[in-house]
Amino acid sequence: MNLSDDFAFTQGSLGDYADCARRFELRFIKRVRYPALEVQDALGFETRTRQGARFHKMVQQHLLGVPAEALAASLADDEELARWWANYLARGLTDLPTQRLSEITLQTHLAGRRLVAKYDLLALAPGGRAVIVDWKTGARVPSQSSLRGRMQTIVYRYVLAQAGAHLYAGERIPPERIRMDYVYVAAGGERVSFAYSAAQMREDEALLAEMIAAIDRAETFPLTDDARRCRFCSYRSLCDRGGAGRLEDFDFDEYEYEDEEIFALDFDQIAEIEF
Amino acid sequence: MIELSKGQTEILELPLDRRIWLEGMAGGGKTTVAVRRVLHLLASGVPAESILIFVPQRSLAQPYIRALRGLTSHRGGQVSIHTIGSLSLQMVETFWFLIAGQAGFKHPQDLPNFLSLELVQYFMTRAIEPLVDKRDYFSSVRIDRPRLYSQIVDNMNKAALVGFPISEIGSRLKSALASGVEQAHIFDDAQTCAMAFRQYCLKHNLLDFSLQLEVFRAHVWAAPAARRYLRGRYRHLIVDGLEEDNPASQEFLKDLLESCQSALILYDRDAGFRRFLGADPDSARRLRERCEVKATLEDSFVMGPEVSALGAALAGQLGVTVSVESEADPRRALITVAHRYHPEMVDWVAEQAAFLARERGVPPNEIVILAPFLSDALRFGLVDGLERRGIPWRTHRPSRALRDEPAARTLLTLARLAHPQWGLPPTDFDVVLALMAAIDGLDLVRAKLLTEMLYREDRLLQFAEVHSTAMQERITFDLGERYDRLANWLNRYIDGGRADAIDIFFRRIFGGLLSRAGFGFHDDIDAGNISMNLVDSAREFRWALDFMSRYDAQIDLGLDYVKMVDRGVIANSYLRDWIADVEESVLIAPAYTFLLNNRPVDYQFWLNIGSEGWSRRLYQPLTHPHVLSRGWPPGAVWSEDDEQAMNRLTLGRLLLALTRRCRKAVYLGYSELSESGYEPRGLLLETIQGLLRRLAREEQHV
Ligand code: SF4
Repeated sequence: MNLSDDFAFTQGSLGDYADCARRFELRFIKRVRYPALEVQDALGFETRTRQGARFHKMVQQHLLGVPAEALAASLADDEELARWWANYLARGLTDLPTQRLSEITLQTHLAGRRLVAKYDLLALAPGGRAVIVDWKTGARVPSQSSLRGRMQTIVYRYVLAQAGAHLYAGERIPPERIRMDYVYVAAGGERVSFAYSAAQMREDEALLAEMIAAIDRAETFPLTDDARRCRFCSYRSLCDRGGAGRLEDFDFDEYEYEDEEIFALDFDQIAEIEF
Repeated sequence: MIELSKGQTEILELPLDRRIWLEGMAGGGKTTVAVRRVLHLLASGVPAESILIFVPQRSLAQPYIRALRGLTSHRGGQVSIHTIGSLSLQMVETFWFLIAGQAGFKHPQDLPNFLSLELVQYFMTRAIEPLVDKRDYFSSVRIDRPRLYSQIVDNMNKAALVGFPISEIGSRLKSALASGVEQAHIFDDAQTCAMAFRQYCLKHNLLDFSLQLEVFRAHVWAAPAARRYLRGRYRHLIVDGLEEDNPASQEFLKDLLESCQSALILYDRDAGFRRFLGADPDSARRLRERCEVKATLEDSFVMGPEVSALGAALAGQLGVTVSVESEADPRRALITVAHRYHPEMVDWVAEQAAFLARERGVPPNEIVILAPFLSDALRFGLVDGLERRGIPWRTHRPSRALRDEPAARTLLTLARLAHPQWGLPPTDFDVVLALMAAIDGLDLVRAKLLTEMLYREDRLLQFAEVHSTAMQERITFDLGERYDRLANWLNRYIDGGRADAIDIFFRRIFGGLLSRAGFGFHDDIDAGNISMNLVDSAREFRWALDFMSRYDAQIDLGLDYVKMVDRGVIANSYLRDWIADVEESVLIAPAYTFLLNNRPVDYQFWLNIGSEGWSRRLYQPLTHPHVLSRGWPPGAVWSEDDEQAMNRLTLGRLLLALTRRCRKAVYLGYSELSESGYEPRGLLLETIQGLLRRLAREEQHV
C-alpha cells in the first residue's frame, strides 16, 4: 500500500500516473513541493494561468447570480479575457438543461478507493439530459480523438454516472443521458461533445480500476522513458531531465485550474502562541 | 466504529427535520454523536452539498474530516466545512461585484485583495508608519513596532467579531483603562491608526480579516442573491464548539438556522476558554431557544472520577463553579515531585513519560507535555530527554521563522548578491553560510576561505582568482568548479541587467542550479519544501503589490520584500505542514495549542507550574480582550481587582478544560528555581498548594 487509506484519486493524479509514475510518487506519495519553473517565461505563464483561473471564477459568480455586466465591467484591463467572456456569454450556455450547478465536486468509489471529480458546471434536467461542461481556455482545439482518450473525459463521465443520483431526483443517471462538453472560449466558444453509454462506462470502469489497483500494487515508480513529458514538469532537476520548456509549447488545455489557494484567515491563527 | 450510549443513540436517531441543541461537558461524546449524525444524514439520502459543518477553528473539524474521508463507500457530493473566516472570505469574493461599491471601496470594478496575516502587518506598516513617525505616536510604549501594529489589528478584529464599529475602539479602551493623560493619548493614537488603516484598505481594495468580516455581515449577508444561495444550499447544519465561537459567527448561525431543515448544535458547558479570541459562551446560548429539541449528555467518557474531581476542585479554588461534582479524591489524579533546579525537573518529566510508555505500555500519543509557553531551551531539554530514552516526540509549536531555515536564508542571500542595485550586500557571514548550503560537500573552513578570498565589492569572483595553487588544491578543484558555476550564474544574471520578480528569481536559481546534481538542494526534499514556502510568500507579496501599483507609485518589490523579511514582518512564520506528524509520539505543546486541537489523552504533564504565564495575560498596552468583548458594560472601569479576578477565572477555565481532556492523571513539573533562576510564585502553584492544604485539613477533621 503506497497511499494513505483516505487518498482520493482524481483525473489529475491518474493523468500524472499515466504520464510518469515517478511524478505521481513525488507529488502524491512523497508530497514533494518543488519550486522549479515549468517554463522559461515564468511571468507569461503566470499571467496565462491567472487569466484562466479568473475566467473560471467569473463563470461561477455569474451562475450564482452576479450580473454579467457587473463582471464584464471588471475586464477593462484585459482584452483577451474580455473576449473569452463574450464568447462564453454568446455560446457557453446554449443547449443546456436549466438546473445548473457550478464548481461542484462528486465522489464515488472504485477498487476500494475514492474517486473524485470537480466539475466546472453540471447542467441537468432530472429524467432528462445531464451535461458536464468544462471550460477550456487554450487557443487550439485538440482533435476529437485525443480529447476522447483524456483521463478527464473518462473520469468525469464515469463519476457522474456513479455519483449523480442525488442531483437527478434520486435516480442513477443512465449513461446514455450523459454528455460531456469541452467549450473552447478562446476559440470562439467552439464545443466538442462526447456522448456516453453503458458499454463505455463498463470499459472506463475496468480501465480505472486497473490503474488504481496497479498504483496500489506498485513497488517502484520508474521515471518516464518519454523525455517530452518532462519538459514542463517541475521535478526536472530532481530527475536530471534538462531545463524548463518554452511557453509557446505548453498545452494549457490540460492545465488544471485549481482555485488560487484560499488562505482562510481565521482569527484563531493570530494568537495560537500568544494568549 | 465506537458503540454509542443509549443517550447518544437517541439523539442520533431523532428525525431529520429537527433542530437539536445538545449540551454537556467536554468528553461527554457530543462530537461523536455529531460525526455519526453527519454519516446518518448521508446514509438517509440527504445530499452532501446541503450539509454545512461549522466550527470555531479548523482543528476542531478533524474528527469530521477523518470520518468523511474514511467513507470509501459514499457516492455523491461533498459536505462543506467552514469557519466564519473561510466562509466569509468565499462569500465576499463570490459576490464582490455586487457589494463592493456600497461597502465603500474606491475601485469596486477591480478585484478584491484579501490579505494574509503577514500582508496585513506589511500594509499596516506602510499605511500608518509615516503617521506614527511624524506625530511621534506610542513613544512611551516599550514594545517593538510589529507587536504594536499587531495589537491595532487585534482591536479591529475584535470590533468585527463582537460587532461594534471600529470608531469606538479608542473610547471603549479609554473609558475602561485610561488612568492618566498619557494612557488616554495612547488609546487615541491606536484609534487614529485603526481608522487610517481602514481608509487605506478601502482606497486600495484591500481586505484584512476585520474588513472581510464586516463586509460579509453588513453587505454580503444582506444581498438577496447571497442569502438565497446560502439558505438554498445549506439545509442541514452541524455546529461544533459553539461556546468557543464569537458573536459574529453566532449571529450568522442564528439567522441561517431559521431556514435550515435540520441542525445539531453542540455546546460545551463550563468552557469558553477561547475568550481571548472573542469566544462568547453566554451569547451562544441564545441559539438554544431556536431549537425544537434540547438534549444533554452529562457523563464524561473521558475523565476518570479522580481527574474529574481534580478539575472541579482546582476550578473551585479559583471561583469557577462546575456543573458536575465528583466525590473522588483529586490527589489520586495528581503526581508530583519537587525539584530544586529546572533542568532536574525537565529530566524527571522525560523520565516519567518514558516510564509510562515503556513500563506501563501507554501509547506515546496518549501523553502530552504542556507549558504556558514553550521556550527553545525548554523544548530542547524535553526533546533531548525523550530522545535519550528512545521515546518518539512531536512538537506543535505552530510556526517558526522561515528566514531562519538554511534553505530560505541561502536563497535570500543569493538574491542580495544578484541585485547589487538594492544596496543591500550580504555580510561575509551570510555568504559563508550560503556557499555551504548551496554547494554540496563544501565545509565551513573552505566556505570561509572562499568568502575571504573571492567575495569582493559585493560580487563573487572566479575561482581562478585564488592566486596560490596550493590554496586551490586545498579547496579542491572539484568544489572550485561548482563554486564557479554558482558565481557565473549570479554574474550572468547581474550583467544581463535582468531583474526577475523575486519569487521567480528564487525559482529560477532553485531549478537552474541549486537543485541540480552537485549542489546543496539536490535530492533534498526539505529544502524543496522550504524554498516553495519562500516562493509562496514572495509571490503573494508581489501579487498584492502588483495590484497596488494601479493606485500607488511603483516600488521595487524585491527590495521591499527582502527588507520586510529582515524586519520580521514577512516570512516570519510558516507551518511546516508537509512534515507528517509521527502519530505514535509524545506531544510537546503550549497548553492552549493542545486545547484548541480538542483531543483527549490519558496523561498530561503540566510544566513550570510556578510560572505566571499560566494565568497572566501578555503585556498588551494597546488592546484588552475583556474591555473589547460584548459583555463589557459601557463606561465601566477596569480595576486591578478585575484583573486579578479575570486571571483567576481564566486559569480556572483553563484547568477545567485541560482536565476534561485527560483520562487518567496529571503530572506536575515543579522546580524551586524557575527556568530563569527565580523562585516562582504563579497563581497555578498557589492554587495547587491551596487545594492540597485544604484537603489535608479536611482529612484531619474527619
Ligand atoms: S521530470 Fe520527467 S521523469 Fe521526472 S517526474 Fe517529471 S516527468 Fe517524471
